[in-house]
Amino acid sequence: MKSINKLLIMCVFAFSFVGCENFIGGEINKDPNNPTSVPVIAQMPAFQIAMADVYGGAFSRFSCMLSQQVEGVARQWQSMNQYTGLTPNRFDAAWNNIYENILNELAIAQASAEADGYNHYLGILEVMEAFTLMTATDVWDDMPYTDALKGVESINPTFDTQASIYTVINAKLDNAIKLFGGAPGALLPGAEDLFFGGDIALWNKAAHAIKARGLMKEGDYSGAMSEAMQGMSSAAENMAYQYPDASAAGQWYRFNRDRTGDLEFHPTMRTLMTDLKDTDRLAVMDQVFDPSHTYLVADFLQELISYREVQFIIAETDFRNNGGTQAGYDAYLAGIKASFDRLGLGQDEYDAYVADAAVAPGVGNLTLEIIMTQKYIAMFLQPEVYSDWRRTGIPTLLPTSGPTIPVRWDYASTEYLFNTNSPSETEVSIYNDKVGWNR
Amino acid sequence: MPDFVFLILKLFSMKRLSLVLSLVLFVAGFALAQKTITGTVTDEAGEALIGASILVKGTTSGTVTDLDGKYSLSVPDGSDVLIYSYTGFDTQEIEIGTRTVVDIIMAEGISLGEVVVTALGVEREEKALGYAVQQVKGDDVARSGASNAVDGLVGKAAGIQVTRSSGSVGGGSRILIRGVTSMVGNNQPLIVIDGVRTNNETLLSQASTAGTAASNRLMDLNPEDIESINVLKGAAATALYGTSGSTGVVLITTKKGGKKNRLDVNFSSSVGVDNITRMIDLQNTFAQGRPDTYRGPETGESGSWGPAIADLEYATNPDHPNAPGASAFDAAGNYKFDKNGFLVPKGTGNGVPANTYNNVDPFFQTGMNFTNSISIAGGGETATFRLSASDLKASGVIPNEEYNRKTVKLASTLNPIEGLTISGSVNFTKSDYVRVQQGSNTSGLLLGMLRTPGSFDNTNGFAPEDAVNEVSAYQFPDFTQRTYRGGGGYDNPYWIINNALGYEDVSRTFGNVKADYKFSDWAILGFNIGYDVTTDVRKQEFEINSRTNAGGRVQHDEFNTQQYDSYLNLIGGGRLNDDLGLNYLLGANAFSFDNHRTQTRGDELVFPGFLDLSNATAVSAFEDINRYRSLGFIGQVELNYRSLLYLTLSARQDYDSRLGDPTDFKLENTGFFYPSASMSFVFSELMNSGSTAFSFGKLRLSYAQVGSPPPNPYSTSSVFVSPTIGDGWGDNIGFPIAGSTGFDQSNLLGNANLTPELSTTLEAGLDLRFLNGRLGLDVTYYRTETKDAILNASLPRSTGYANVWLNSGEMTSQGIEITLNATPIQTKDFSWDTQVNFTKSESIVNKLAPGIERLFLAGFNSAGTYLVEGNQYGAIFGGAYLRQDAGTDKDQSLNVPGGPVVINDDPNSSEYGFQAVDPTQRSIGNPNPDFIIGWNNTINYKRFSFNFLLDWREGGDLWNGTAWALSFFGKSGLTAETRVEAAAPIEGVKSDGTPNDIAITRGRSYWTSSVGGFGAIGEQFVQDGGWVRLREVGLSYSLPSRDWFKGGSIGVSGRNLWFQSDYDGIDPETSLTSTGNGQGFDYFNMPSTKSVIVKLSVNF
Repeated sequence: MKSINKLLIMCVFAFSFVGCENFIGGEINKDPNNPTSVPVIAQMPAFQIAMADVYGGAFSRFSCMLSQQVEGVARQWQSMNQYTGLTPNRFDAAWNNIYENILNELAIAQASAEADGYNHYLGILEVMEAFTLMTATDVWDDMPYTDALKGVESINPTFDTQASIYTVINAKLDNAIKLFGGAPGALLPGAEDLFFGGDIALWNKAAHAIKARGLMKEGDYSGAMSEAMQGMSSAAENMAYQYPDASAAGQWYRFNRDRTGDLEFHPTMRTLMTDLKDTDRLAVMDQVFDPSHTYLVADFLQELISYREVQFIIAETDFRNNGGTQAGYDAYLAGIKASFDRLGLGQDEYDAYVADAAVAPGVGNLTLEIIMTQKYIAMFLQPEVYSDWRRTGIPTLLPTSGPTIPVRWDYASTEYLFNTNSPSETEVSIYNDKVGWNR
Repeated sequence: MPDFVFLILKLFSMKRLSLVLSLVLFVAGFALAQKTITGTVTDEAGEALIGASILVKGTTSGTVTDLDGKYSLSVPDGSDVLIYSYTGFDTQEIEIGTRTVVDIIMAEGISLGEVVVTALGVEREEKALGYAVQQVKGDDVARSGASNAVDGLVGKAAGIQVTRSSGSVGGGSRILIRGVTSMVGNNQPLIVIDGVRTNNETLLSQASTAGTAASNRLMDLNPEDIESINVLKGAAATALYGTSGSTGVVLITTKKGGKKNRLDVNFSSSVGVDNITRMIDLQNTFAQGRPDTYRGPETGESGSWGPAIADLEYATNPDHPNAPGASAFDAAGNYKFDKNGFLVPKGTGNGVPANTYNNVDPFFQTGMNFTNSISIAGGGETATFRLSASDLKASGVIPNEEYNRKTVKLASTLNPIEGLTISGSVNFTKSDYVRVQQGSNTSGLLLGMLRTPGSFDNTNGFAPEDAVNEVSAYQFPDFTQRTYRGGGGYDNPYWIINNALGYEDVSRTFGNVKADYKFSDWAILGFNIGYDVTTDVRKQEFEINSRTNAGGRVQHDEFNTQQYDSYLNLIGGGRLNDDLGLNYLLGANAFSFDNHRTQTRGDELVFPGFLDLSNATAVSAFEDINRYRSLGFIGQVELNYRSLLYLTLSARQDYDSRLGDPTDFKLENTGFFYPSASMSFVFSELMNSGSTAFSFGKLRLSYAQVGSPPPNPYSTSSVFVSPTIGDGWGDNIGFPIAGSTGFDQSNLLGNANLTPELSTTLEAGLDLRFLNGRLGLDVTYYRTETKDAILNASLPRSTGYANVWLNSGEMTSQGIEITLNATPIQTKDFSWDTQVNFTKSESIVNKLAPGIERLFLAGFNSAGTYLVEGNQYGAIFGGAYLRQDAGTDKDQSLNVPGGPVVINDDPNSSEYGFQAVDPTQRSIGNPNPDFIIGWNNTINYKRFSFNFLLDWREGGDLWNGTAWALSFFGKSGLTAETRVEAAAPIEGVKSDGTPNDIAITRGRSYWTSSVGGFGAIGEQFVQDGGWVRLREVGLSYSLPSRDWFKGGSIGVSGRNLWFQSDYDGIDPETSLTSTGNGQGFDYFNMPSTKSVIVKLSVNF
């Protein structure tokens, strides 16, 4: 009947100009499948999961492969492990996620949060932006920022220096911390905040922790220490995303399930841990590249910045600033303990491990080498290990091929192709061009 | 003569060749009362016409005149009309009455009476046309043996290119007329059946490089129902269709009943067998493993780089030093992966030499198809009808693949009162398919099959035909798969065809109702409305432990497509005076398209063996609606001066809903105008008539401008979408996630300011006929300039977006089409008709969007098809070897630079001695053929008819991604040779320009490097995909009519029986991305098939 009506309507319209406007106008070309605008609360889960997913995905895999926690042994990962396969297109997914799915969404959300005076919401968005920018510039150095995210208004964004991006990062974090201390505005973040459930106190700690992470790289150890002290005070306060189950499983679980055998535990790390008699943690980590394993499970807790990282920042800055005090030493041990907790190991295993003087030499005997080695192990699969290794050279790693381990990532192939203001492929060397804070 | 035939038939019958044949004999044997008509056929000068054909109207029985122009024909009682025809002369229908001698004088009338159906169903004399139109008879399509009418068109008209996408039964084909017209939009022609637009879409429910084969919806039409097909090629021919006709139009006229006052019944039945044409060359010499080290399936080793299989033997003792770990043995202590035991070096095992298993060729079976169709047609002065039904059952060359189709069609006409004609048709089609996963997909059939080492047996010792139904061949008791990578890697092919099947069930109704009332010759009012409703219900299953969806998946998709098309036309014409004639057309057209897709997907199944949503722990769903409407107003005037000069002017104003900002709608923003003009000059009219050497000559000229709206609806606004999240290495995850929904600004920016893209076409043609039309030559040249082409222009991602719709592209297409028709031999008993169709078309991309030098169409990172400025449409783009001229002044474009290949001479590099990699991706191939020639021949000898069609496609590159990937794994044939070759330098120069002298052997380290498989280089596997192919060959015998048995035919035909190609993979007629714009990719595609078909057709 409906069809007949439609036919009749069509007949009538075919004869008269009067009907034209109704026949083809109005709602016909309005997309019935997708909205043209959405509130901030509808955007939040998308960019939070996108951020957790790319951090635990491309950033974790490439960073930890270059830092020799994992080894590419099959298919494309075999040649990437030899560096020859690290062509620009391999970095497309990471780059595209950062700009399209995170920074652009944050910019849209910030504009509406700012316009509506949602101060606490805006603070959260700025913390997230700072985190994202730092993650990106740490591997890509200079990148578009001031001229970026403008769509067709600026189709060839110019590149900002890493130093100026770090200035933005610190300003964003400072502003967020200021906003968290003021009136929240009309919209209170809630359950749609998948990291902290809208808990502004925890966001405030995360902002300090992220700032500490950045100041470390910039070489401001006293600033980093003071920020770290204001960071999270237990693993329960980690900035993290909890994947629900196999229907939306964690990145490493999905990778291992769909690309079984491409990446394995790295012999370098195995040797390092074996030498330290780190057998309990090794037993958990060494078999993780198997989808049935108990660590990289479907309902993985993807940490973005953690209590144990903060503890290691305190230990390192304390060592650098004060030559190693009890407080620093305690933080060092707390970092190791948090790592044991994270891997599901108990007090007994921890006690046995720190009984060894090579691990716990006592305050005064601690060295940067020991701190950073323990951080390297404790930060297993966290992209930050790549920054730490570039910053300190600890642990000592030998290139898998050629004379040099890459010290940065290539830009995405799409950027080389489509952005006339991008440096050309030949101008960027992943072996020689250290990022700003590493020069 | 008939007695002789009778005798042959009797002999056939005595041998009891088939039950069907004896039925034919029985029917043919009824020699009842009939009369014999004799006579002579001459031309106006009294010369005898040799080989003129005489047909009893409404039957297939007839004869041709002998050397003296004489004939003798038995005419059954009840038949009263004979049809006399001779090439180059007007056909005559003569009522014989009581006469027994009928002498006929034929009047020369080259094409005078030849009427062609043009746009909107308007019939025009062929000589009046100022543009190229080519007609293909329905019988020729049916004769091809193709169940898809698109496939049946191959080689039968100049200007068309058909590519079958897959050897999977029920796989679709892509057709192009005059190459591509749109840069990113649809390029396949509009299909019009009986005056109304018909759906020929190809709907994919998975990624274009993976998933299953997909149909094109014209497959729902039974080729036996086709009366004729007219191919309208250029813009002037199709201008009256507006936007939708910009890619050319295929006009299909279906059979209707005749006004014969009797009932005609046709029954035809055919049986076909299909086999794969050829398979890629694989090495089966070397075992799984790494150089010198055998690594068995339990290690998960991916490559076949191990020792020679001949150097291995079996062992069963778990204490053997090379024995795998305990997990490779079952509870009874038997090795799980091979009943013969595990492999160890020769001399250390039980002395039983290792088997070499062929996991590929024996897997494929002989596909069978059975088609039966019946039609009943009849009618009288006031009404006609034709009712037809057909049934097709086909099984594929891949076990468990199926295609079944049932069609019922009723067409009728009615003349209730003088001047009023009402006609209509309705077609029901029900098709169902069972499909197997293909392409770039860990559950793709060939992906795992071709990579399986020769030392591993995918069937677990069973014969291939038994392994299909033997669970223990491909699965362990714990439901994990038995694969050569110990359950990792890819699905076992036998597991796939039982556990990863796709089902499709298509119900379709289409047809039209048409009414014409003739007030006078000067005013005929017509109304035609067509509808086309398709429901396509799909279910894709992935059992638990599938390598693609380890947790198991069931995906339901339902597509509902509805289109309505209606026309109101006023036409008329006549002579204004003795010299001047006029025809005109005024019309209006309304069209509506609506496609609604709903998907429900269940993931993470609880237990195996029950592939149902209720067994899924995570269920998600989405819907997608695509709709648009258009309105057109049409005017056309044709003026003719004598039979000499014809001038046609037409215009169409279209309004299309896909243009304009939906939030600020203004009708004028959606409108665009197409003018066209064409001229036909029949210069042979000026010459002395009566010349038999030069019989006809015509010059055609035309100009037309057509426009196209955005290829998709909703391109004029930007939206938020529910994103999927991931980075391409594992499955993406999608919302809702744990109760949360999420939205993200679409990566594609809309543009409210889009205007239609405009193409301007100039066409010139020459139609020459000689020797009373026995030789004909038709040449057409055209040139189309497209500007403001709507592109999803790529943006650097730092803009926050990936693409934006822009009116920015420019493209120039040009081509030449030549058709040569000849009847070299025409005698009483013997005739030979031959036709050559030559097609050359080329589309050069002149301009993309600002700052964008290339635009992705389809494919992969290492090799993809792109639009590249200055290059042919859809160039294959990818990694190239570094050339000496790269980066110098001579390197001006994205083409591969000149100079020798540069060799990596850095001794510290792991690729020392290999070709160096150009950091810039280059245009490494052109998938467009240089030209296409179809050579179609029909040779008749008495009642025998022999036909063949040679299909020559010159050039057209294909990226052999299958060989690329297989080289990485050491499975491609060439890796068996290169790994044992003596070390030698690769041709090229070192960085200082001196000839390369670094000797290397191209073994595992070479083929797994960046110049090997999965590396950055694509160019080494771009190959010439051209062919010469025996597309059709057939022999048939036409059965004589006897009284109520009105003749018929029995024949055998072959499709695709032979081809010659330099391509190294499977049959190069293949397309990973189905019917889409990105062509030229072979990545573990299903091999194509060759068929032999036996067909019987009888009329009553």
